[in-house]
Amino acid sequence: VPGGGAPLRPCSTRGAQRGIHKPVIDRIIRVDHAGEFGANRIYAGQMAVLGRSGVGPVIQQMWNQEKEHLKKFNELMVAYRVRPTVLLPFWNVAGFVLGAGSALLGKKGAMACTVAVEESISEHYNNQIRTLIEEDPEKYKELLQVIKQFRDEEQEHHDIGLEHDAEATPAYSVLKTAIQLGCKAAIFLSERI
Amino acid sequence: PSHSYTGQGGQQSEDYESEEQLQHRILTAALEFVPEHGWTAEAIAEGAKTLGLSVAAAGMFHSDGSELILHFVSECNSKLSELLQKEQKLVQLGEAEKKPIDEFLRDAVEARLRMLIPYIEKWPQALSILLLPRNIPSSLNLLTSMIDDIWHYAGDQSTDFSWYTRRAVLTGIYNTTELVMMQDSSPGFEDTWRFLENRVADAMAMSSTASQVQSTGEAVVQGLMGAAVTVSKAETSRAVR
Repeated sequence: VPGGGAPLRPCSTRGAQRGIHKPVIDRIIRVDHAGEFGANRIYAGQMAVLGRSGVGPVIQQMWNQEKEHLKKFNELMVAYRVRPTVLLPFWNVAGFVLGAGSALLGKKGAMACTVAVEESISEHYNNQIRTLIEEDPEKYKELLQVIKQFRDEEQEHHDIGLEHDAEATPAYSVLKTAIQLGCKAAIFLSERI
Repeated sequence: PSHSYTGQGGQQSEDYESEEQLQHRILTAALEFVPEHGWTAEAIAEGAKTLGLSVAAAGMFHSDGSELILHFVSECNSKLSELLQKEQKLVQLGEAEKKPIDEFLRDAVEARLRMLIPYIEKWPQALSILLLPRNIPSSLNLLTSMIDDIWHYAGDQSTDFSWYTRRAVLTGIYNTTELVMMQDSSPGFEDTWRFLENRVADAMAMSSTASQVQSTGEAVVQGLMGAAVTVSKAETSRAVR
């Protein structure tokens, strides 16, 4: 501590009370919450367009799982006293527009969007799992369990997307790259603001 | 991991004290002299003297008293946290009633502002020092965590944008009430507490108006959708005929 430097910082003592590395956990929960919120809106958009089509039940089932994920992160957010990202209203609209937009390209378009997003999310969860394990696997056991389970479920969604001819979408690789770039930007921003 | 100032083997002797702890003790002792000397190096020097240290110890700190003020704010915030935590325990044990939100916010802000009363003469000076660019990150940090603490103990569990609006509104209430308090010469600061009550009531009314506007808006949209469906059905049936 430098002489004449910073006074007691309440934020660091709060983290110390639970023995957790608060800045790291804060980021993780904030970005995951934003991600599940966005995923919910994407599926909502897809259902708005394709809800009454043959692929409706499949999308609905994936959406239901995302709703469970969001519920869990809402609980974790309150438990760890993490602030949500300021960008939530923006992800609200952007997610819906992405879902509806991809669904307007047809069933294959919606599935391509699902594949792209779920692949990004799985990779992102894997990074977080690595970070938490590097920090302290024992201390963060519960959080690790949650993230691992969610990662497995997102991977399932990814596979379902592939099963439903996602790759047959016209301009599939362009679409996929664009969406994944958007996901990377969303993750970067939601961690910080 | 052993630090640079512990002895061999990482053992700390009983009267070992870190620099941060020493500064903490000096600043706490200095508070007693603030009403007389203001938030200055003199107050810090007097504080150091009561601890049996040389007045040169004041040289550890900035000459404008920034650390003394930030220390004071931090201590007040901790006291507030403890108070709110104790109240929460009483409610959990069933020994106290859970307060309605407006009363809770009012009481928390009042409790926190009352801590300024012994130093109120010199507080305007402190406020201006807290606004120095150098101090803004720390003072903002302390303010936001205090407001977040109050909402947490009030039972806020929002995870959407209202997390921000609630904190912004309460910050506004706290800051304006603090300013009113600086100008208040009424007995027992009753004008300030009345101002606080009115501002909290305004905020509650605003939030209920906001939700009313939203439900009205949703009802209007549903009405329009229903009208559109009816009209389009009427058109198609007319076209078929």
